[in-house]
Amino acid sequence: MNDTQTDTLSGYNKSSEGKILLKAESLERKFGGLTAVADFSFELHEGEILGLIGPNGAGKSTTFNLISGFIPPTSGTLSFLDQNITSKSATYISRMGLIRTFQHESLLSEMSVADNIIIATTHRLKTAAARQEKMREMAKLTGLEDYLKVTASSLPHGLQRMLSIAIALAAEPKVLCLDEPLTGLQGSEVKAALDLFEMIRSELGITILLVEHNMRAVMRICDRILVLNHGRLLAAGTPEEVSQNDLVIEAYLGHKK
Amino acid sequence: MLKSNPGLALCILIAIGAICFALFSGDPYYVQVVIWVFANAALAVTLRFVLLIGELNIATAAFFGIGAYTTAVASTILGWPFFISLLAAPVIAGVISSLFGWITLRTKGPYFLLISFAFTEIVRLIYTKTEALGGNSGMIGMFPPMELDAYFPAIAISILAAILFGLYAAERSNLGRVFKAIKNNEDIPRSVGLNVIGLKILCLVIASTAVGLVGGVHAYTNSVIAPADFTYFVAVLALAYVKIGGEGHIVGPIIGATILTLAGQFLHSFGPYENIFYGAIIIGALLLVPGGIVGLGVRFKAGTLMGRAGR
Repeated sequence: MNDTQTDTLSGYNKSSEGKILLKAESLERKFGGLTAVADFSFELHEGEILGLIGPNGAGKSTTFNLISGFIPPTSGTLSFLDQNITSKSATYISRMGLIRTFQHESLLSEMSVADNIIIATTHRLKTAAARQEKMREMAKLTGLEDYLKVTASSLPHGLQRMLSIAIALAAEPKVLCLDEPLTGLQGSEVKAALDLFEMIRSELGITILLVEHNMRAVMRICDRILVLNHGRLLAAGTPEEVSQNDLVIEAYLGHKK
Repeated sequence: MLKSNPGLALCILIAIGAICFALFSGDPYYVQVVIWVFANAALAVTLRFVLLIGELNIATAAFFGIGAYTTAVASTILGWPFFISLLAAPVIAGVISSLFGWITLRTKGPYFLLISFAFTEIVRLIYTKTEALGGNSGMIGMFPPMELDAYFPAIAISILAAILFGLYAAERSNLGRVFKAIKNNEDIPRSVGLNVIGLKILCLVIASTAVGLVGGVHAYTNSVIAPADFTYFVAVLALAYVKIGGEGHIVGPIIGATILTLAGQFLHSFGPYENIFYGAIIIGALLLVPGGIVGLGVRFKAGTLMGRAGR
């Protein structure tokens, strides 16, 4: 790998100049007669926060399931860290360092907060002491250190969201795919979550792919945004470019400006 | 470790007590009852072990039988020594269960339950149709060597107790935590790099290896085995032990097996109607005490705590 060389040449920063970590080419997924995702190509660059937005049913969750290996694509190719991962298992892809969260049922609801996080350390860390240490570190990062013995389902909603992020982080991702992490959060919680995402990117060096409905948050935090509509890529670009795109405005508001 | 876990210390004391009873008691009938209690507890605990990943494994009965037949073949047909015949049981049960799990654990819930039920009946039919295995009348003549005969009940109880403690240790380890996570929501362990199918197979193999050894002990304890000993009903009984004792903790099935095995000594007089009693127990426990005896204990404890907090 010559990534250090590339980095110095391109003056690597947080921008989209980083090397390509994840690449999708002509991704397609059909469910019976329904085409959920069609001809979808994109690249995720090292160090960026890439937003994936679109109206309900646009194919965002299907895209997540495809890149994380939870469902195989009907056609198209996926590569991660220069390796073809098309139709590889979810276990294989997550071991490579692409970790996703879930929009629904994102926790081990019957288990304690500590156990939830420890499960995620199991593959990488082999001793109980190392797992405990990692678990405490991740709990502290996400503000859960006082809730370690609490059953996950009895946590307040905001902390449940934080726990699903703690689980993903404990698995030591290179790329973190967050599926609507802000849903149901209060104003102050949204701000805290966005600060956490910034910190994950800048201090932990983790690249983020973010599916989110909260437009203001997406516009604020993402370096680039992909807009899906009816399973197809409608627009791509910086937040400013996307927010001024006529097609995007039409898809969201149903008419042209 | 024992200081912080008085329950475990008590269980070890009970096991040592049972071994001493087997060594020094003069009454072979009561010794036999103690072995039955331990064997039934081990059956129930192995059934519950696969319940950790959320699957009801009727094939517990099949692997119990495979263990017993392996030991019987090894000792009577092949003439292998006692301990080797005994150890062949878990090995063969483990190997066959890994194949069985590799094929079947891609299904779950009612599908896995039905497949495991069918497997159990098929294996039993194979015994009845195989002349070399004695057909319907089964196999006879598995005896421990003369010099060990007096100690055999103590050896049997030691082995069965070791199985119980081994499965307890496995459940308490990180592996046990992973099994429970798979039952809770298998997408989460899968999303953090765990091979869920592989781990389910591992769970089944651990349980089947253990129950295979129980089968080996059973062959030597009984000296006679027949296909009719290994129907799905063995698993149904084990389920009754689990349900009445409680599924939440490993001592649940042990308590359930103890109570029902002792009660069974009186129920034998009802003949074929005995089974109605076990069916009624499963239904009654499911309706009235869903957490079993252990669950009642936990509820009682929680109730008193809440009562205090309320005042």
